[in-house]
Amino acid sequence: MLPLPAPRASTPATVPVREREADTSDEVIPEGPWDVIVWDDPVNLMSYVVYVFRKVFGYSEPVARKLMLDVHHKGKALVASEPREMAELHVRQLHSHGLQATMQRAH
Amino acid sequence: MARTRIRPEGDGVRMELEDFEAELLRSLPAGVRALLEDPDPEDPAVARLFPTCVPDDDTVDTEVRRLIFDDLLSERLEALDALAAILDRGSSHRGRLRVDLVDDEPALVLGVLNDVRLTLGARLGIDRLDRDEIDVDHPAAPTLAVIDHLAWIQEQLLRAIDPTSVDDA
Repeated sequence: MLPLPAPRASTPATVPVREREADTSDEVIPEGPWDVIVWDDPVNLMSYVVYVFRKVFGYSEPVARKLMLDVHHKGKALVASEPREMAELHVRQLHSHGLQATMQRAH
Repeated sequence: MARTRIRPEGDGVRMELEDFEAELLRSLPAGVRALLEDPDPEDPAVARLFPTCVPDDDTVDTEVRRLIFDDLLSERLEALDALAAILDRGSSHRGRLRVDLVDDEPALVLGVLNDVRLTLGARLGIDRLDRDEIDVDHPAAPTLAVIDHLAWIQEQLLRAIDPTSVDDA
């Protein structure tokens, strides 16, 4: 994040998929929580990331700032661990705000 | 003391933009619109605005990206339209363009500025640049200056709508 030009933790990226197909997966598998991770990048402002965490998750300023600093110093931060549907919603909101967010099954 | 050119005003935010700033805000979003309307898979900005969702599972990644892509796309296009309309209704005051932002408009402008900066940065390969080694003669310097100036506008907007997000507020 600006202002410090830190090397960015790279995440694989591919082009968006636009076509839709019939959903053939009808098995129901009980799932544990999913982790939502935000990765550092060289463009997003530190203050903007705090603002986004407050807006998307409703975190207090100290919590949002601590998470932002984790992203900044460690390259990434775990910002939520939650059911898959909530993780998908939050990833969408974070991407909508231009943050690099991913989700993965919690270990 | 000079008044801040971006500041809370009533329930909203008043921006007073210099000519060059208004021109940047009118012209640069067109680049974002072009990539949204006709995404080039080779464009690093496309990958930056629509990043991977689930890096360790290609199948689920595809599912989630399909699920959220349309919303991401339409939100971004609507924000671009809204910014254009906001600038069009601005009025000239002492050589500056005055625009009064209400409701969710400050957040929306903040988001478009971010998308523009992300797009410029991705195409510049900003991940690989060492900013300490870039002087004014470097080919990336003009674009970085634009990215930084838009960042300054973002900071002013943040001070107006969410002061606690700014460290020294």
